[in-house]
Amino acid sequence: MPDPEKRPETTPEKRFAEEWRNAAYNCFSSGHKFCREVCPVTQVTRNESWSPTAFHANVVAMEQGELEIADVAADYVNCTGCGACELRCPNSLFTGDFYRFRTRTVDLVKAVRGLAVRQGVHQPAWQRWNLLTDERGHEPVLNGTPVDQARVRDWAAGLDLPIGGETILFVDCEAAFHRTSVPRAVARILNLAGYKFGLMHEQWCCGGPAAEMGYEEQARRFARHNLDDWRAGGVRRVLVLDPHDYVTFTEDYPAYFGDAYDIEIVLVVELLAELIREGRLTPHVPVERTVTYHDPCRLNKRKGVWREPREILRAIPGLTFHDVDRVTQWSYCSGAGGGLPVEKPELTARISEQRVGKAAELGVDTLVSACPWSERPLSEAGRARSIDVVDLHELLAESLGVAP
Amino acid sequence: MKYRYQDEMSPPPARRVTDVAITRFEHVFEVEPALMTDHVTQQDFPNWDTLRLVRSRADHLAWMHRHFADKVLSGEELLHDLDE
Repeated sequence: MPDPEKRPETTPEKRFAEEWRNAAYNCFSSGHKFCREVCPVTQVTRNESWSPTAFHANVVAMEQGELEIADVAADYVNCTGCGACELRCPNSLFTGDFYRFRTRTVDLVKAVRGLAVRQGVHQPAWQRWNLLTDERGHEPVLNGTPVDQARVRDWAAGLDLPIGGETILFVDCEAAFHRTSVPRAVARILNLAGYKFGLMHEQWCCGGPAAEMGYEEQARRFARHNLDDWRAGGVRRVLVLDPHDYVTFTEDYPAYFGDAYDIEIVLVVELLAELIREGRLTPHVPVERTVTYHDPCRLNKRKGVWREPREILRAIPGLTFHDVDRVTQWSYCSGAGGGLPVEKPELTARISEQRVGKAAELGVDTLVSACPWSERPLSEAGRARSIDVVDLHELLAESLGVAP
Repeated sequence: MKYRYQDEMSPPPARRVTDVAITRFEHVFEVEPALMTDHVTQQDFPNWDTLRLVRSRADHLAWMHRHFADKVLSGEELLHDLDE
């Protein structure tokens, strides 16, 4: 706690609180706390200091000079950035569009993490993760094996994809180096439909994870590189298969570049649903599985994208699909977002186990996701229950008869 | 949903509904922006975000009805119950 005798008039915390005070008081004075029951971290820990309400209350305390960032920085690790709290908050769901002022807990958490980093308060695993990302240009997703800029397109070996062009496919770090069968499936499907696209000249990490963990300068530098690379190559349209990248390109990059941001961003899962609707893709190979669908948080909660993945699943013959509606899934999460698995993998595992447990109650043999980042922890949790975790793009490729 | 910055940051023209409310999207009402300049200022609100909230609200209310509303009462019946 700060020493009242030595407390300066203006602190970084107070300056920070000036920006966030209205949102914080909005939350603090409401106190309905609908957010808690949809928060994956609260569900498995019941720790009130890690609830969305606490994240706002701390800002009130900072404004009152009662709290320094070092006192609470570690609490802000406990958020996956899923967006359930801010969507379920009545100040968003019932009045946000009316006032054009909604609860922005995800942005607040990112901002507090950024304040902590600027003040020299680091979380050890996050600091190392971002240092390695900065050194290599990509996130260290290979459990100790260094990622390599020269190998970022290795996933596309043998697919004969061009470099550059008006439309390119951006592949996130997890899919480019670890879940390589996902981008291969996407590329083969697009080729089958006759959809022309290429790859980036020099792709770096999108920068979104650095922004989520508070390393703002690094995030902006990576974003600048990618945008410059797109422009140098005459790129007009970027296809995105990863929901995290989609949020970064449609929320972070616009905030960094404003009016100068002239790139069209297309979510692959929406494009594929469109191609099926138009008859340019016809799934025909039966896939005999009993499945349920995991709504990736950044699609369902943060972007409102939930119809198209279901459209694709219903177009695949042979599947028995036990759907759980999108609103019920506001309280589901894999635990894989917001840097949580980097700093607290044990907490991610508990959230994933809970999510897979929901799937097990349906008697399915397969949990389908559309987010490469969710699939690693969900797969680990699924093994204990003999539930396969399969990516939607791969499932569609199988039904279209294209090998990975 | 194809994202283009210029499209998302250019809301449809506002039409006045009352002294304190406007509308930009069908059946979606917003407070008169001039009333949001003193104490709490409005946020940057791309079109997708407005529509996300509107659609999520409708989905949530339908979900609430499916889960919790098993009977429909008229206001008259409610008042009658209160009188008794």
